[in-house]
Amino acid sequence: MFWSRSNGAGSPISTNGVAHAAPHAPRLIDLRHVVKNYATAAGAYTALRGIDLGVDAGEFVAVVGKSGSGKSTLSNMITGIDRPTSGEVLVGGVAVQQLTEGQIAVWRGRTVGVVFQFFQLLPTLTVVENIMLPMDFCNTFNEHRHARRERALFLLSQVDMQMHADKLPTALSGGQQQRIAIARALANDPPIVVADEPTGNLDSHTADAVFHLFEQLVAAGKTILMVTHDDDLARRATRTITIADGEIISDRPNYAPHAVVDDDVDDAILLGDEELRLA
Amino acid sequence: MIPAPRWRKVLRDVLRNPTRTLLVVLSIAVGVIAVAIVMGAYGIIAADLPNAFDATNPAHANIRMQPFADDLVDVVGRMDGVADAAGRRVVSVQARVPDPEGPPGATTWQDLQLLVIDDFDDQRINIVRPESGAWPPDKGEMLVERASMAALGAVEGEPLTIKLANDDERALKVVGQAHDMNEVSLAITGLASGYITPDTLEKLGLDRRYNEMLIRVAENADQRSHNEEIARAVADKVEKGGYTVFRTSVPRPGEHFLEQFLSPMLLILGALGVLSLLLSSFLLVNIITALLAQQTRQIGVMKTVGASAGQLTRMYLASVALFGALALAIALPLGTLLMNALLAFVARLMNFNVVTNRLPLPVVAVLIVIAMGVPVIAALGPILRGTRVTVREAISDFGAGSTVFGRSRIDQALESIRFLSRPQLISLRNTFRRKGRLILTLTTLILASAIFISVFSVRASLFRTMDDAFAYWNYEVRLNFARAYRAEHLAAVALEVPGVRAAEAWGLRNVYRVRPDDTESDNIRLIAPQPDTKLLNPTLLEGRWLLPTDEDAVVINTDLLDDEPDLRVGDRMVLNVDGRDVAWTIVGLVRSVMAGPYAYTNYPYFARMVRQVGQADILNVALEDQSPAAQTAMALELERVFEAQGMRVVGTETTAAQRDQVGDQYGILIAFLALMALLLAIVGGLGLSGTMSINVLERRREIGIMRSIGASTPAIMRIIIFEGVLIGAMGWILGALLALPLSRILSDAVGEGFIHSTLTWTYSLGGAAFWLLVMAGVAALSSFVPARQAASLTVREVLAYE
Repeated sequence: MFWSRSNGAGSPISTNGVAHAAPHAPRLIDLRHVVKNYATAAGAYTALRGIDLGVDAGEFVAVVGKSGSGKSTLSNMITGIDRPTSGEVLVGGVAVQQLTEGQIAVWRGRTVGVVFQFFQLLPTLTVVENIMLPMDFCNTFNEHRHARRERALFLLSQVDMQMHADKLPTALSGGQQQRIAIARALANDPPIVVADEPTGNLDSHTADAVFHLFEQLVAAGKTILMVTHDDDLARRATRTITIADGEIISDRPNYAPHAVVDDDVDDAILLGDEELRLA
Repeated sequence: MIPAPRWRKVLRDVLRNPTRTLLVVLSIAVGVIAVAIVMGAYGIIAADLPNAFDATNPAHANIRMQPFADDLVDVVGRMDGVADAAGRRVVSVQARVPDPEGPPGATTWQDLQLLVIDDFDDQRINIVRPESGAWPPDKGEMLVERASMAALGAVEGEPLTIKLANDDERALKVVGQAHDMNEVSLAITGLASGYITPDTLEKLGLDRRYNEMLIRVAENADQRSHNEEIARAVADKVEKGGYTVFRTSVPRPGEHFLEQFLSPMLLILGALGVLSLLLSSFLLVNIITALLAQQTRQIGVMKTVGASAGQLTRMYLASVALFGALALAIALPLGTLLMNALLAFVARLMNFNVVTNRLPLPVVAVLIVIAMGVPVIAALGPILRGTRVTVREAISDFGAGSTVFGRSRIDQALESIRFLSRPQLISLRNTFRRKGRLILTLTTLILASAIFISVFSVRASLFRTMDDAFAYWNYEVRLNFARAYRAEHLAAVALEVPGVRAAEAWGLRNVYRVRPDDTESDNIRLIAPQPDTKLLNPTLLEGRWLLPTDEDAVVINTDLLDDEPDLRVGDRMVLNVDGRDVAWTIVGLVRSVMAGPYAYTNYPYFARMVRQVGQADILNVALEDQSPAAQTAMALELERVFEAQGMRVVGTETTAAQRDQVGDQYGILIAFLALMALLLAIVGGLGLSGTMSINVLERRREIGIMRSIGASTPAIMRIIIFEGVLIGAMGWILGALLALPLSRILSDAVGEGFIHSTLTWTYSLGGAAFWLLVMAGVAALSSFVPARQAASLTVREVLAYE
C-alpha cells in the first residue's frame, strides 16, 4: 500500500521566504517555549505554559490529557490553526508563527493534513469532490484534466471507500465519513497528519478500524500527531505525551506498539519529499 | 468543462437551500423592479413623447380672435419671424350622452369642441391623424378624438346628437376616430373633441370663417420668450386690422403640456424606487451575514485544507453575483410588464402612443450593474468579515448559542423585566440578541411602514384639500347663459324651483395681466361675485376679502401669484378685460382651489366696467340635497325651467362632476404611489421573514434543548411567532411615528409638484390602522413558516445538527 504517487515531486514545503529553523534543530516538528494565553470573559487563561516538544519524521505521537488540559491547543499550534502568545513553532523548518494567515492557509494545505472529531466534510460536495477540494484550493495535481479526480479516487480506494465516491457525506455512517476525512487530509500529500480526537465520535469497533488506517500511514512514512483521551488507543502509538494544565507532564515511548503494518510497504516512495525525510 | 469543486460548492449551496435563495433573489429583484419601472418608463417617455409630439408640428402660438378669413392668414404667414400660419374654426357644442348616474335610457349633455379642418389630407400645424374608420369625414359626418369616444358614448357608424349654441339639435354620424395630441386630454379637462369639414360646418348653419390662428415661428422657436414676442407682433398686427384678439397662448416650446405634470410624479416614484433598492440591500446584508455565520465551520474547514481568505471571498462573492443574476432573470420580464402598465396609464392620460414596449438598452445595462453590483457591494463587508475569521474561531464555534447576550444596556433593561412568562422572556430577549440584524430589519420595516402610511396620508391630504377647495365653492350647480340677462331675474327664477337653497348671478371674464414691461400673462379668470355673497368660503392667506364698498379692488389666488410672482397685496395690477386695460388694487390673497389663476372683484363694479349693469350671464345655485345624483337632476331641471322662460342655457356644471374629474387625476398618482408602497411592503415582509428564518436556523440547537426539557410544539411556535410579531409591532409603531414628518414632506412635495400649493396635510389614521393589519399578517406569516420548521425537528436531529 502506498499513499503517494508523486515520486519526490509531490509537495514541497512552501516557505514563502520565511526563515528556516537553525541547522542544529533538525526535527520535523519543533516547539520551543510555547506559551498560549487566552483572554476570556472570566479573565485571562493560560492554555499552554512553555511547551518544548520535538517530533521526528515517521513518529506516531499520541497526545493525551483531560478536557481543558491544553492538548487541542497544542495541536492547533502545530497546524497553524492558532498562534502562540510567545515561543516558536517550527514545522519542517518553517517558523509557522511568522506566516500571515494567507500564507498559513497555503502552507497548511500542502504540509499538514487535519482530521477532526466531527469529520467536517462539506455537506454540499460529494465524497470525491470533498477530497479534490484541497487540491483545488492549493492548485496541486493539475498536470492533466482528470489528475485530481484520479488522485481522489486513488486515496478513496486506500481507505476502502471508492464505492461511495459520488455520494453526499450525509448518506454515510460516521466511520465512513471519518475514513473519507482521512483521505481528504492526504489529498495534497502532506508529510504530517494532525488528528484531534479522530475516534471520539465513533464506536469502538469503527474507532479501531480508523486507528488501523493511521498505523498504516505511519508505516508508509507519514508523521502523525493524534490528540485523544483514550488511553488504550494512545498506548498503541509509538510515543505518548501527557498534558495537564498546559504542561507536558509525561513524554514516553511505547515500546510495544501493535505492529500491524503491512509487510509490503514500498519505502522508497512513501513520502514524496526527500528534504523532509532527511530533516 | 467540469467546474472545480469549490465552484460546484457555490452552485450547490445556492440551489440546495431554495427558500433562502428565493428570499435573497426576491429581495434583490424587488429593488431592481422598482428601478426598472421608473427608469424604463422615464426613458421611454423622454424618447417617445417629444418625437410623437414634434411629429404633429405643434403651434408655437395660438391666437383666439374675432372671425377671420384666409386673407388674414396669408398676411400673418408673410410676417417676419413667422414660418407658417393656419386658420382654424373651433365650435363649442354639447353632445347628448347616456347618463351613467341616471336611470337606464337617461341622457345628459357632455361638452364637445368641434374642430373644423379644411383639408384632412393637407394639415400643416397641430396635425390630427387618422386612428380608425373613415378619413376624411363626409358632409354631415364627424370623427371623434379616440380619447373622447367613451365619454361621448360614441360608436363608429352611429349618429351623435349635438346641441348648438342656439339650442338647435343636429345629428352627426360618427364615421371614425382621430388622434390629436394637441388637445388637452379629456381625462384632464372633461372636454371632448370632434373633427368636421367646413361643409359640415355650413350644414350646421355656421359660417366658414376661422376663430383661431395657429402660428409656427421661423427661428429660435425653442425660446418661449421669442415665441411670445412673435405672438404679440401678430396680435398687434391683426388688432390694427380691426380684429379683436380674445386670447393669446404660447406653450412651452417642444414640450407636451403634461410633461410638467409627469416629471414630479416620476421623481417621487424614482425616489421610492431607490429607497426600495436600498432597503432590499439591507435585507441582503442580513441574509449574507447569516449565511456566512451558518457556514463559519465550513469556512474553517476549507481554510484548514488550504483555502486562502481571497479564494473564499471570491467564492462567496460569486454566489452573491449568482443571486443577482437570478434576480435579474425575474426582474427584467416582471419589470418590463409593470413598466408597460405604467406607460399604458401615462399614455392614456397624455393621449399619446407609446412606440417602445421594451426596456431601453441603457436602462437594461444600468439594471445589470445594479442587480450584480448592489448585492456585491452590500455583501462585501459581511463576506470580508466572514472569510477573515481564523480557523480556530471558526471550528471552535459550537455549543448552545454563540452570541453574547447580557452586555449592553438594552440587555440589562430586558433582564430586569420580570412580569412576562418564561417563554415570552425568551422571545423578548431573543429579539435583541442580534442587534445589528435587528437594526437593519427594523430600518426596513420602519421605512416601509412610514412610506405606506405617508402615501395614505398624501391621499387623505389630497381629498381633504379637494374638500376644502369645493367647500370654497358653496354652490352645487353653475349655469352659463348664451347672453347676459337681468341678474335679479335669474336668481328669482332659480329660487322658485323647489330644492334650491340659494342662487346668485355672478360675472365672469377671461382676462390677462398686462405687466409693467407691457408683456402679457396667460389667461386669468376674473370672477365677480355679489358683494354679500354666501356662495364662497375663501381661505384668506394675506390681506382681506372684498368689502361691498370696494371699487377697483381684487383678491388674487395663489395660482395667480405662482404665475406672476412679483404681485404683492397692496400693489396695483393692470388686467385687460374685454380688450381694455384696467388698473386694480390687490387687497387680498386666497388659497388656490385646484382651478388655475383666479382674481375676484365685486359684481357691481365689474358690471359697470363690462357695460352690463344689472345683468349677468352666470348663475350659481346652491341646493338643499347636495348628493351627486341630485346635482345632476337639478342641473337638468334648472336648464328646463330657464329654457321654458326663453333664457338660453349653453352649459351647466356640477361640483360633483368636477370633483370626480379632479379625483380621477389624482387617483392615478395615488395608484402609483400605492404600487411603490406595496413594493416596499414586500421588501419589509421579505426582510422580516428573512430575519426570522435566520434566527430560527441559528437557534436550532437551543430549540432542541427546549424540546428536550419539555417544550411542546405549540410552545416553541409561540416563542418564535411572538418574536416576529414583536419586531413587526416595533416597526409599525416607529414607522407610524416617522410617518408624521414624512407624510408632511411627501404631501408638500406632491402639492408643490401638482397644484403649486401645499396640501391641507392630514395624517391618515385609517392608513396606519390598515398597515397595522398588514404588518400583523406579515409578521405572523413570516415567522409561522420558520416556526413550524423549527418545531418539526426532532431533538436528535437538532442536537446532532452541525
